[in-house]
Amino acid sequence: MDNIKFIAESGNKNLGEIKVYALSTCAFCKKALKYLRENSITFMYIYVDDMEPEEKQTLKDKLRDRYKRDVGFPFMVINEDQVVVGFKEDEYKTLFTGE
Amino acid sequence: MAEKNSENTRLFVDMVAKKQGWELNRDEEHLEIIISGLMKNYNRYGYFACPCRDASGVKEKDSDIICPCDYCSPDQEEYGHCYCGLYLTKDFFKSGGEPQSIPERRKS
Repeated sequence: MDNIKFIAESGNKNLGEIKVYALSTCAFCKKALKYLRENSITFMYIYVDDMEPEEKQTLKDKLRDRYKRDVGFPFMVINEDQVVVGFKEDEYKTLFTGE
Repeated sequence: MAEKNSENTRLFVDMVAKKQGWELNRDEEHLEIIISGLMKNYNRYGYFACPCRDASGVKEKDSDIICPCDYCSPDQEEYGHCYCGLYLTKDFFKSGGEPQSIPERRKS
């Protein structure tokens, strides 16, 4: 997973390494990215559906094996450890602001 | 195969909702993203693959996630809306609730 070409976005808040595996076509993925942007959180993302089929399958297999989770989108990994699947604004708020 | 544009993709989701007795998400921004996603999937795969799942591009493998997907009815029964938050039951629509991400029934 080290050679994935993420798109990096810088915000005012660096809360660790936040990687978002998203689909370019998915409304909840777009909402998750919008939340991170609006809250000025530094993150990186990739649209998995735009990857080459073999590369994409390899990535999904690795994510599933490494994090022991079915791969749904958005699939957010924080500091290579914590995984959040899907987007619920309240969950993101608790996670990033403690509210 | 003729390409789809946003107008005829919108017609498709309107037609499905009307035929099934469902309502569409009232959040226009959410709706526009899904319609745009369905259109993109049709134009690259040849069918309306669910925009909230990663399709393989092989129709036989994706047959369960062609919109409206096989998981729509059970998701509506349990949560009031489909996985994408596109098709809502009339009761959920009337409640004014906002669709949120729900657990995936399809095994990856």
